[in-house]
Amino acid sequence: MTLSTPLVWVIFPMIIAVVTGIFYYRKVLIVLLTSLTAFALAALATFFPEDMALSIGPLTLVFDESLNILGRQISVIYDMLPFIALIYTVTGLWNLSSGIAGVPDIFRPTSLGMTALLTAALGVQPFLYAALLFETAILVSIPTLSPPGQKTSSGILRYVTLQTLAMPLILLAGWLLTGVETLPADSPLVGQTIFLLGLGIAIWLAVFPFHSWVPMLSQQTSPLVMSFLLVIMPMAVLVFALNFIDRFSFLRELDSLYSSLRLMGVIMIVVNGAWTAVQNDLKRALGYAALAETGFSLLAMGMYDQGGLSWMMLLFPVRALVFWLWGYALNKIEEHSNSLELHDVQGFARLYPAISAGLLMAQFSIAGLPLLAAFPIKIALFTAAFELGTGLGIMSFIGNLGLLLFTLRLLSCFVTPRDVTMPLWWSFSEKAHEYIPILIMILVLIIMGLFPNTFFANIINTLTAFRQLQ
Amino acid sequence: MMTLSALAFILIVISAMIILIFRDWLINAVALAVQYLAAFILISLSWPIGMAVIKLIVGWMATAAIALTLFRQQPSRGTSELEASLFFRGFAGLMIVFVIFVTAPALQRNIFPQLELVIIQGGLTLLAMSLMQLGTHSEPYLTVFSLLSFLSGFEVIHAGLEISTLLTGLLAVSNLGLALIGVYFVVKTGETDESTQDEGVE
Repeated sequence: MTLSTPLVWVIFPMIIAVVTGIFYYRKVLIVLLTSLTAFALAALATFFPEDMALSIGPLTLVFDESLNILGRQISVIYDMLPFIALIYTVTGLWNLSSGIAGVPDIFRPTSLGMTALLTAALGVQPFLYAALLFETAILVSIPTLSPPGQKTSSGILRYVTLQTLAMPLILLAGWLLTGVETLPADSPLVGQTIFLLGLGIAIWLAVFPFHSWVPMLSQQTSPLVMSFLLVIMPMAVLVFALNFIDRFSFLRELDSLYSSLRLMGVIMIVVNGAWTAVQNDLKRALGYAALAETGFSLLAMGMYDQGGLSWMMLLFPVRALVFWLWGYALNKIEEHSNSLELHDVQGFARLYPAISAGLLMAQFSIAGLPLLAAFPIKIALFTAAFELGTGLGIMSFIGNLGLLLFTLRLLSCFVTPRDVTMPLWWSFSEKAHEYIPILIMILVLIIMGLFPNTFFANIINTLTAFRQLQ
Repeated sequence: MMTLSALAFILIVISAMIILIFRDWLINAVALAVQYLAAFILISLSWPIGMAVIKLIVGWMATAAIALTLFRQQPSRGTSELEASLFFRGFAGLMIVFVIFVTAPALQRNIFPQLELVIIQGGLTLLAMSLMQLGTHSEPYLTVFSLLSFLSGFEVIHAGLEISTLLTGLLAVSNLGLALIGVYFVVKTGETDESTQDEGVE
C-alpha cells in the first residue's frame, strides 16, 4: 500500500485540527487528542525508516515523499523529518499543558493547524508559495491571540498587518530571483531583489524596527499562547529562509549577505536585550527576550562559514523548552498574582517557590548561564563572534547581559517581602500538578546543558535537506 | 481595451481615495467592491477571463462578508470628523497618485518590462494607497479593508508576471481568511462594546 508523507504530516493533522476545532469546548478530550496526535507525529518523524517503508504485521506501507495538489507538489522529504519532529514535539508539549487557566480553548486546534500549515509551507514546490501558507498560518493564529470577549487590541492589528504585508514581498522577490540568477552580481536588480526578500523575511521575524507588535501582543495575550507563537514562527521562517541561500548560488556567495545578517542579529540582541533589562512588565519581557533570541539565530546564520547554521539549528530545541517553561510559569504567576508587573510580584517566591524557580531558570537558561541548556551553544556563538570581530562579540555579549540583568531584578523582587505584614518564612503553596511539570523541565534543561550532544545532535541532520549548505 | 483599462485605473484611484478619506463603513464597502471590479479588469488584461473572475468573486465575497457583519453590528454609520483631517487625507492621497505617475514608467522600464503601464500604475496605486490607509486609522474593519486593498494591488501586478492555479487558490484562501478575520474583529468589537455598556448600566 502506498501513502505519501504529506498525507501523514500535513493532511492528517489538518483534519484533526478541523475536527477538534468543531468540538473545541470539550477541554480534556481535545487536550488529549491534539497532544497525542502531535506527539505521535513527532515520534513517527523521529523513528521513520530511511527506506520510507513501514511494516505493521502483514501490512507494508510504502511512503512517497510528494503529494500533487492543483498541479504543484507538497513534499515532506526524509531529511526534513528531524525538524518536523521538533515542531510537532513543540505543539504536543504546548497542547499538553494548555489545560491551565488563561489559555483559550481554541488554542489547541489552531496550534495543531498552524503546525500542519507550516509543515506544508516547508515542503511546497515551488517553495515561494510557502509565503501564502505562512500567511494562512498567521490568520489561523488570530482567534487564539485575540480570543472572543477580549477587545481587539492595537497589538493584534499590527501583527496581522505586518505579517500580511510581508507575504507579497516574498512572492515578488521570488519571482525576481528566478530572473536575476543569470545577471552579473553588480546589476542593480540583484540588490533590489535582495532588498525585497530581506524586507519580507525581516517583517516575518519581527526584526527591528518591525518588532513593535511583539511586546504589545505579549502584554495582551496568554503567555503560554504567545510563547508558542514566538517559538514556532521564527523557527519555521528561519528554516524557510535557508531555502533561498541553498537554491540561489549568487546569494550563497554574497559576502555582504552574511555581514548584513550578523549586523541585523547583533542589533536585535543589543536593542531587545536592553529593552528586556528595563522592563517592568513580565509579559513584555517575554516578547523582548524572544526577539533577542531571534537575533542570536540571525547572528548564527550570518556566521555560516564558521559553522553557524549548526548553532542556529541547535538553538531551536533549547528555545522551545525554555520558552515553554517561561510561558507556563508566567501563566501560573498570572493565575496567582493577577498582575504581571514587577512590583506586583514582589515576594512571590516566598509563597510559590517552584513557579518562581521555573521562571528564573528559564531566564537564566536563555541568558546562557553555565550548566543550563543554552550554555554550550551560546558560548560557541560568542567565541565565534569574538573571532570575527571584537565589536561583534562585545555587542552581542552586552545584549545578552540585558537579559541577565532583568533576571537578577526579578530574582531580587521575587525574594523581597512585599510589605511588613508579609510573613518572613517561606511556604510552599503550589499544588503537585503545578510544580511537577516545572521541576521536570528544570531537570531537562540541566541535563541538556550537561550532555548537549546526546539531545541536540539529531536536529542538525535537518541541514542535509539543504544540499548546497553542507 | 485601452479605454476599459484607463477606466479601471480611474475607478481604482477614486475608490482608493474614498476609502482613504471617508470613515463611513457603507461608503467604504461600496468603494472596495468597485475597487475589486477595477482590479478584475486590469487582471483580465493578463489572464483569461475565467481565471480573472475568481479574483472578482473572492473580492466581492470578502467585501460582502465584512459589510453584512458591519450592518448587523453597527447600523448607525455616522462619524464626525474635522474637515481638516478629511482634507489632509485627500491631499496625501493626491500626492501618492502623483508620485506613482512619476515613478511607474521607470519601474516598467527597469523591473517589469513585460507589464503594461496601466497595470503597474493601478497595482501601485492600490499598494501605496492601502499603506497610507493603514497609517491613518486604527479601526479593525478599516485595517482589514486596507489589507484587502493591498493584496488586491499585489495581485494586479503579480497576475501579469505569473499564472498558476495553486497560487490563485492560495491567494483566494488568504483573501477570504482575511475577510473572516475582519468579520471576527467586527463581532468582537460589537460584543465588547455591548458588555462595556452593560457594565455602565449596572
